[in-house]
Amino acid sequence: MAKVKKQRDYFDSVHIWGRVWSIGALLVLFSMPVAISVYYNAWPQANLLFTALLKLIPLYWATSIIEVVTFTPMLGAGGAYLSFVTGNITNLKLPCALSAMEQAKVKSNSEEGEIISTIAVASSAITTTVIIAVGVILFSPVLDDLRNSEALKPAFSYVSAALFGALGASYLRKHWKISIFPVFVGIVVLLIAPTFGVSTLLFVTIVAAVAGTLVLNKLKLVK
Amino acid sequence: MFDFADFKESPLMLGLAALIIGFVVIESLFFMVKAWRRGKEIGMTTEQLKNTVVSSALFSVAPAVSILATVVVLASALGIVLPWIRLSVVGNLLYETTAAETMLDVLGSNINTEVTNETDFAAIAWVMTIGICFGLVIVTLLGKFIIKKVTKATTKSEKGSGLADAISASAFIGIISAFVAQSINGKSSDGSSDAGFMSIVTLISAIVIYLIFEALCQKLKLKKLELFATPLSIFGAMAVAVLLNMYLPETITSFTWWG
Repeated sequence: MAKVKKQRDYFDSVHIWGRVWSIGALLVLFSMPVAISVYYNAWPQANLLFTALLKLIPLYWATSIIEVVTFTPMLGAGGAYLSFVTGNITNLKLPCALSAMEQAKVKSNSEEGEIISTIAVASSAITTTVIIAVGVILFSPVLDDLRNSEALKPAFSYVSAALFGALGASYLRKHWKISIFPVFVGIVVLLIAPTFGVSTLLFVTIVAAVAGTLVLNKLKLVK
Repeated sequence: MFDFADFKESPLMLGLAALIIGFVVIESLFFMVKAWRRGKEIGMTTEQLKNTVVSSALFSVAPAVSILATVVVLASALGIVLPWIRLSVVGNLLYETTAAETMLDVLGSNINTEVTNETDFAAIAWVMTIGICFGLVIVTLLGKFIIKKVTKATTKSEKGSGLADAISASAFIGIISAFVAQSINGKSSDGSSDAGFMSIVTLISAIVIYLIFEALCQKLKLKKLELFATPLSIFGAMAVAVLLNMYLPETITSFTWWG
């Protein structure tokens, strides 16, 4: 009885502290654009902001809901609060927590899983923060040279291709059935309207990807 | 080291970076200590907990290098401090790049061109922040409820969670598809990076390097090295672009579909 009560106390305390830190994180997060605008007296035009946000928010916020619902139970309470503050969940925190739980042979819905997941996400966040900080300090003195070098110009001109080729390779390989259609739709749209901005194109390809997945699921080609 | 005269690397920006990064590290330590103490209380061994710290830190090295690559890449337009901040708290590779690209697109620019105006810079910071904050808001408001309810639901319906996984993956694929299509036949607003020979070769190089590296790791049973596949293929493809530009005739390297 006392053991169950202690367990409940721990979980309740994680939820309370998780909320406190998350509210703190939101304040810290918004301090950046507020400080930039106030300090430089640089207030962007609302219509430009809305135009960009209208393109991003439906996608980002809908994905956020899916991520919270999908990842939170896998990460446990402490791991989830920490992951949603420290970011890079799909490409780092979630695989890291799952790998740590597998290595420790604990289940994600057990108290041991909760402990291991929290420690894994915390270690990962600290490691990542330190590596990025050290990297930034090392790179910043040579950044201008890198940017202005004629020889390196092509590397930076086609960086989107390199970045999304690399990020996409594993997704496209694992989910090739649902990848063909949105890429094809994107190419066709650009053939018709080549100057279509990437932000608008995103909508078209995401709708194509989700619709394609649902159709393939109906046809039992994707589970 | 930093160019303080450049508003993108000013003491204000560095102060904000210190505040935000400090917050993340202190929160991580707070939860780690809390979980560690509880782990000891319920009989977990110090070795088990230590192993988790070490293996998770090692696991994070390669993805962190990949995130650093994105910081450096975004730095050509935004300076190094803003991407550093955004990728250290809440953000992620794909979202931050997309948010920056979207705002730059609305401003009539792109990620390959340096932002030289404070108001445009502020606009990008606002869009990146507002776009990404919603997940954190939902976890704060509904985290406890979701953990209780969804755990039950997902364990009940394996089939439903399979489709949810596919739809979640398809949203990411939709994002990637847009950029892939743009690298194949897109046209940039200022003509500086129109699709053509170089963009397609760079894209294909990144994919091929990734797949070869992954296959080699699997064949040689070096599964841990697979984590380096993403940063290696980003830098590898960028190197291919540089080499082709050096050694191929300009008529080939400057070929684009849009003349």
